[in-house]
Amino acid sequence: MKWLLRTVFIVIMLLVIVFTGFAQKNVTITVQDYFDPAQSMGKFIEEKMVEFENNHPNVKINHTYIPYSQLLPTILQEAITKTVPEIIMVNNPNISQLIKAGVLKDLTGKVKEWGWENWEDYLKGYRDNGSYEDKIYAFQITGNNLALFYRKSLLDKAGIANPPKTWQELEEQCKKIKEVLNITPFAYDGEASDEGSFQFYSFLWSNGGSLLELDQPEAIEALQFLTDMFKKGYIPRDVLNITSQGDLTPWFVNGEVAFMINGCWEFGWHLTEDVMQKLGDVKVTSIPVPEKGMHSINAFGGECYGISSNIDPAKYDVAWEFLESLLSSDFNLRLNIASASLPTRASAVNEILTEMPILEPFLEQSKYALPMALMGGMENYGEISSILWVSIQKAFTGVATPEEVFKEAAQNIKGIFSPEDYEKYKQLARTLLQEASKK
Amino acid sequence: MKAFSYKMYFFLIPALVYQLIFGVYPLIYNLILSFKDVNLITYIGGTSQWIGLSNYVQILKDPVFKKAIFNTLIFTGLSLCFQFIVGFCLALLFNRTFPLKGLFQSLIMIPWVLPIMVSGSFFRWFFNDQGMANNILLSWGFIDKPIPWITSQILPILSITAANIWLGIPFTFILLYTGLRAIPLELFESAEIDGANWWQNILFITIPILKPVIITILTLGCILTVKAFDLIWIMTKGGPGDVSQLLTTLSYSLAFNKFHFGKSSSLLVIMVLLVISLTILFNSIKVEEESSIE
Repeated sequence: MKWLLRTVFIVIMLLVIVFTGFAQKNVTITVQDYFDPAQSMGKFIEEKMVEFENNHPNVKINHTYIPYSQLLPTILQEAITKTVPEIIMVNNPNISQLIKAGVLKDLTGKVKEWGWENWEDYLKGYRDNGSYEDKIYAFQITGNNLALFYRKSLLDKAGIANPPKTWQELEEQCKKIKEVLNITPFAYDGEASDEGSFQFYSFLWSNGGSLLELDQPEAIEALQFLTDMFKKGYIPRDVLNITSQGDLTPWFVNGEVAFMINGCWEFGWHLTEDVMQKLGDVKVTSIPVPEKGMHSINAFGGECYGISSNIDPAKYDVAWEFLESLLSSDFNLRLNIASASLPTRASAVNEILTEMPILEPFLEQSKYALPMALMGGMENYGEISSILWVSIQKAFTGVATPEEVFKEAAQNIKGIFSPEDYEKYKQLARTLLQEASKK
Repeated sequence: MKAFSYKMYFFLIPALVYQLIFGVYPLIYNLILSFKDVNLITYIGGTSQWIGLSNYVQILKDPVFKKAIFNTLIFTGLSLCFQFIVGFCLALLFNRTFPLKGLFQSLIMIPWVLPIMVSGSFFRWFFNDQGMANNILLSWGFIDKPIPWITSQILPILSITAANIWLGIPFTFILLYTGLRAIPLELFESAEIDGANWWQNILFITIPILKPVIITILTLGCILTVKAFDLIWIMTKGGPGDVSQLLTTLSYSLAFNKFHFGKSSSLLVIMVLLVISLTILFNSIKVEEESSIE
């Protein structure tokens, strides 16, 4: 009897192994990003994964969602233990660091096979950001920048006909709104994070200041302007402790502020169609500039996808094939419509305006938008950005004057580089800034 | 007496393995990192160089480190002090019988039950310029403009300390209350016959008997407070600027904002030494106390 039981057990085990083996997919690819599967972008990416799996029955694609703030620390841990997933998303300012650290695979060969014209269809800033020394490492799939959102009805109530075009107009209008409506009019993100730095660039760069020369008058003037706005009570003090730029929008929706600096993504996040209809008075314009005749020079944000350098060679072709499907012009357009972001491919830019005309000011500004890492010392950008946001907070809270904090910051930033690298990156930032100013 | 057996060491193996992997290894690894020039690129590439005590020298010279040390001492000192005083008063109160005692006891434990994310976010909103604290004070007419609890130069460290005191009270309360319950009532009855008043009962019976519990609370409280991170990070991220920077937030900031892993590790080593010194100090008081009892 025992032998019979033993034989039945062995047969069952063999069947289980054989059938699970058949049922298993041959190749498993993991895509790691900060697109929450419960929200539009995550859902959109996951639909693409299912579509790809249906067309490739032997491929299984897993989606790993990591919250925004934990994405870089997670990639770092994975890189040290050589367990970086096959396809990873990187926030665009961190690309340079990860390229230099060898986390991303050189995709130049694959791009040549794919068609060089596809790569050239990407707008220049995005190409610069995803490549290093003529090698391509990452593709920016969504773009964004900041603009000035305003509530027309609140401006009307305060007797203001048009939104501000210059810093002076912004200050005057804030003064008027505060007096008439008794609200703190201008929501500007001053938090202690990259987002705090991101918001400052429009003021810094439009005034001709550089992140690598913060002790220069152009930079100090920009901080002085915002510090004055903060101290005069035109910017809510609570902006120092918000957790993201998205925290500004509830104030804006509730009419607690009349202006806010925020990104185009808000139209796919808080300012959805029904909210916009209900409010009925939300408008967007370019960020005010120091003087008339100038144009706003903004930083561009957005997300990039690349392939891990530690990818199993047997999976590389499949990973690239999936990545390629995310990069098509058509998908680029649809993805950016879903997330109210800016297309990164020239061929998709014009089409999005017919779908989402409200993005017009953002698209106009994207002509002059600059990559943060290239403007801020490449692989050292993260550290420089953190020096900047701490300095802004110090000036706002009166720990020191804008001039004092920026002089100290400039000295600290200079100390990060060797003298040769500092000169090299300073010149790069100057060149990019001059090009953007001339356009 | 039982004969010595090697078998008993066998049963220690799981705990030893756990300690080696999750306690000793990270400590040694952190110590090694603190002597190296580790940034994001050298860390991933495995090309970091030995630089001796350079990280320690740099961190000790850093004015933000001095600020963080000062803030950590304020934060720890005030937290322990107020948590103990309030916890002790509550323990004395709950040692008596009164209606709905069980319900109130459960309510006191709420801060401990709540996830730190919830309490941290609550306190951030509470102390915001437009938050509950200012709204109450404004509506009652105590102030005419909002107090910048977490947006000024001095108040943020005090505000996060207040939040931490609220969080730590249940821990102090429950340990002291358990200790109080263990004191025989006869002692108080005898003292009463001898003419001792309430205050003398506390001073000469309750506190001396509770001394070992108090030292344990202070030791554990000290460790828990020095390593507090999440509450501060959620409320102020060590800001605005650096005004509420503690050793823990500074260490995180050095590692994950500036990618100075070596410097961050050296800061952690200093922090571990600080906690060990305080623990030895409290333990020496405890040992003295125990030997005097013997």
